[in-house]
Amino acid sequence: MEIGLRLAVSLAQIAAVMGVVMLTVMVLTLAERKVLGWMQDRMGPMEVGPYGVLQPIADGLKLFFKEDIIPAGANRFLFTLAPILALVPAMIGFAVIPFGPSHTVELFGMQIKPFVISDINIGILYILAFASIGAYGIILGGWASNSKYSLLGGLRSAAQVISYELNVGLAIVGVLLLSGSLSLVKITEAQAGGFWNWYVLALPFPQIFAFVVYVISSVAETNRVPFDLPEAESELVAGFFTEYSGMRFAFFFIAEYANMILVSCVAAALFLGGWNAPYPGTLLGHLGLESVAWIENVVWFAAKVYFFLFLFFWLRATLPRLRYDQLMRFGWKVMLPIALGNIVLTSIAAYLFPR
Amino acid sequence: MTEHRMSTAAPVQPRRKSSFSEWIKTLTFYELLVGMKATLKHLLHYKPITLQYPHEKRTLPDNYRGMLALLRYDDGTEKCVGCDLCEAACPSRVIRVVSAEVPGEPTKRYSKEYYMDMTRCLFCGLCVDACPVDALAMTREFEWSVYDKRQLHLNKQQLLAIGDRSFPIREKRLELQHPNVAFFNVAFKHLPQKES
Repeated sequence: MEIGLRLAVSLAQIAAVMGVVMLTVMVLTLAERKVLGWMQDRMGPMEVGPYGVLQPIADGLKLFFKEDIIPAGANRFLFTLAPILALVPAMIGFAVIPFGPSHTVELFGMQIKPFVISDINIGILYILAFASIGAYGIILGGWASNSKYSLLGGLRSAAQVISYELNVGLAIVGVLLLSGSLSLVKITEAQAGGFWNWYVLALPFPQIFAFVVYVISSVAETNRVPFDLPEAESELVAGFFTEYSGMRFAFFFIAEYANMILVSCVAAALFLGGWNAPYPGTLLGHLGLESVAWIENVVWFAAKVYFFLFLFFWLRATLPRLRYDQLMRFGWKVMLPIALGNIVLTSIAAYLFPR
Repeated sequence: MTEHRMSTAAPVQPRRKSSFSEWIKTLTFYELLVGMKATLKHLLHYKPITLQYPHEKRTLPDNYRGMLALLRYDDGTEKCVGCDLCEAACPSRVIRVVSAEVPGEPTKRYSKEYYMDMTRCLFCGLCVDACPVDALAMTREFEWSVYDKRQLHLNKQQLLAIGDRSFPIREKRLELQHPNVAFFNVAFKHLPQKES
């Protein structure tokens, strides 16, 4: 009975988070096209519904009813596995993201944290590990398609993800040194009490360089412009998902957007204080409405995440694609030394001024 | 040789702009920020140049060269005299005219058949220029996409229909010959005939 209840509550939490993520993905597919259009003096989708707001539903229906093609000579097993391998790690990372304050709620005689599915003490490591598995989906999809464009896209993705995941990991280390924990809940809680406590600005050593390295590397890791070499449409048709159609293509598509949301959530939680407001406490809390103060926290978290997502679109509207050697040189010769230097300086600062 | 070599001194290297400011610009991604400022400016001052085509259509210029059409006089007779000049003028060989005499009027000709293969037309308007009786005209129609390209092979009736719906006001019939001089003209019974 106890286990059954706990399972039901966990499943409800998972369903809620998945629902929010999928809804955000739907909104993002429209928002990206709209924002790109506005930045390029266009209108974006306008036909389906008023101002094109129903476009994601139309896209989803179209993808759902499209013919599912497996090209001749493709490795059927890996071809089927790859989209799942891409989507599942992108989704599973949300299990450790704290969306709101970490107070516990008493429900059916159980202690439940409503805004995080599972507060495991290696949260950020877990996300990094699953992000690496997500790269397998892309690489295997590229290889299994039996197409030169897919293969080249997959190979590029392999090299790119390895190079930039390293930078992501090293950029995070500075924050971990300051917080002394791998749990995203604890890291977020350590940044409470105003924007000067956020790790991007916090004393003894502001993680501003690590933040820049993280943002750039996460753009590269999610294969977005200007690092979209794995799916460079002007060279490789569509890169690793050239041969995919229907729902398999949709899986890759959803995985890309879910990854964008995930890295934005991690960036917000690690560097920008997560659900903490940029002023001490919450306005609703100061007004004596402690019970609904979580709304303000969740709104702040969403605002930070959407800022990063807007940054993704903004970069896409602005920047041309990098050449492959530029990508590698930038990753290994610029980003990596900055991240390493940041670790050294942060360690010295954290040793000299222990908090 | 040596003198020549000495005379061409090494070009003076243009002094680089303050390397410190260059360094700062690289460090702060200055060029990226300039580009991002430009895109953000377009987002904030959003003036789309898109025309939502099927819902709103642009105003066409007066000299718009659209679909070709054959015209009639105000009494409903065809203007075309079957002279073949449009066929000769056409650079794409769109037009084919089969000309014939008006029955019972040896001096008058008309186009028995008139075909236009609009898949090849480049809308240059040379046929309209060439026509001596202004029987051809360019309408303002342009929505002529079809599923079967054979539907673009138009005959005389179709071309006349296009002219009828595009030009409701027709030209008055020219009296090229005075009825008193039109010795052989027997076609127009409504005109006063020469007394015998």
